[in-house]
Amino acid sequence: MTGLDYKRYLRRRVVNAFNLTISMMAVAFALFFLAWILWTLISTGIGHLGISAFTKMTPPPGSQGGLLNAIVGSLLMVVTATLIGTPIGILAGTYLAEFGRGGWLAPSTRFINDILLSAPSIVIGLFVYELVVHRMGHFSGWAGAFALALIVLPVVVRTTENMLQLVPNSLREAAAALGAPQWKVVVMVSYRAAHAGILTGILLAVARIAGETAPLLFTALNNQFWSSDLNGPMSSLAVIIFQFAMSPYEDWHHLAWAGALLITLFVLGLNILARSIFRKGNNA
Amino acid sequence: MSELHLTPPHLMHPEYPQETAMSEAKKIEVKNLNFYYGNFHALKNINMDIPDNRVTAFIGPSGCGKSTLLRTFNRMYQLYPKQVAKGEIILDGENVLDAKQDLNLLRAKVGMVFQKPTPFPMSIYDNIAFGIKLYENLKKTDLNDRVEWALRKAALWNEVKDKLDQSGTSLSGGQQQRLCIARGIAVKPEVLLLDEPCSALDPISTARIEELIHELKTDYTIVIVTHNMQQAARVSDYTAYMYLGELIEFGVTDMMFTKPARRETEDYITGKFG
Repeated sequence: MTGLDYKRYLRRRVVNAFNLTISMMAVAFALFFLAWILWTLISTGIGHLGISAFTKMTPPPGSQGGLLNAIVGSLLMVVTATLIGTPIGILAGTYLAEFGRGGWLAPSTRFINDILLSAPSIVIGLFVYELVVHRMGHFSGWAGAFALALIVLPVVVRTTENMLQLVPNSLREAAAALGAPQWKVVVMVSYRAAHAGILTGILLAVARIAGETAPLLFTALNNQFWSSDLNGPMSSLAVIIFQFAMSPYEDWHHLAWAGALLITLFVLGLNILARSIFRKGNNA
Repeated sequence: MSELHLTPPHLMHPEYPQETAMSEAKKIEVKNLNFYYGNFHALKNINMDIPDNRVTAFIGPSGCGKSTLLRTFNRMYQLYPKQVAKGEIILDGENVLDAKQDLNLLRAKVGMVFQKPTPFPMSIYDNIAFGIKLYENLKKTDLNDRVEWALRKAALWNEVKDKLDQSGTSLSGGQQQRLCIARGIAVKPEVLLLDEPCSALDPISTARIEELIHELKTDYTIVIVTHNMQQAARVSDYTAYMYLGELIEFGVTDMMFTKPARRETEDYITGKFG
């Protein structure tokens, strides 16, 4: 080879090796804590996550009990929040990606949505407290679900828009070239092409709200007993963990560990599911 | 339909077989067409007549405006803001560029096939049925017949007849492009616009599609944009040479490739430029 500046080449190799080492150390650093958290959770929580955790109610201090009312409360509020937030989020995301080209409404909506996306969840909790709890005069599962829906909403808007933007324009043109009206192009072509990504976004939003505590503290509060009535205060895993972990009672601590492990496994499962759906959807 | 006037007439070669050309019926008349991408003036005062049931090819170097011109015929440009066409495009006596023109009906009448194959993320059958169902309410058996007819027309039937329920994206590139052509003709348009339909294909698939174009011209008016001059010479009856947004020369393909009237056309065709 002619013109090879050996020094230059050597320097590039050294810089490369240096940067590679730094980034691998960063990966190891992040993974270390993640593994540590997981290990602590599993090793401490697994012993207390027996059948009774799924069959008994949260106990008073000093007696036997489980997490059933908290699990059911969490599920009810998460499902309700998803049912409220998802359709609105998908429609709004569709508007941003498909209909809002040109004009001021889409950019402003996108900007506000980004603010909502990064709003601290405690602020959302306080907002719903003022808007719903204060006016209704009592804490309720509806208020909790509404607060969680406000967290789901911007995530779904953002992922829907991003996934629809990944659909190549050539596909939209091809459908329009057959004389398809725009709504038909969106429903029959864009949604089909982006469905895996949108579904992934929804699952990740669900994972996000499954562990939210702050928005529930001011809205659903807590409930020591069995309740499937969204009109009254409602228990949830996150709030139970918060309450039990802060308490001085040993058996409450155990249940808090079990609950923490349960949420983590749920979120982990959702993430794995989301990834596998996304991968399958992209290969199809 | 009125007689065809090839334009610009003053550019015609003296030996040009005028009488052959004059006997053609015209399908599309382009009058004083100007096109803008924002501030960029992409098409400059285009005047031309596209003859009925013939293949017309647009050739020219990249960026000359041939695809832009094609995309005004079905107003595809209107999907994007800031793209504006001014002038007239008369299709069967009606101005396509008129604001009152129903875009969906226009596009059902003027079909288009794109450079890259664009199968929809659905089954082969549904890819074809999608367009048909938009405007026709056919019985299941009639719909099946139409899908088969379109796939046969596009020379794809024998390869896919046993896997109509498979995803359209599972086909090879050449098959996908024939699927897109089948999809385009399934709705029975009157005009078929082909935007470099073979540029992503291997020679065998290209040959198939060229044969297909030959067959289709008995029923359709075809306009094809191509970078490949041999292809233009092989498949088209008329050729338009464009450069920098202007129509330089338009005439019978055989004449264009043997005795071009303009020096610029000759330079491009012989490869001195382009």
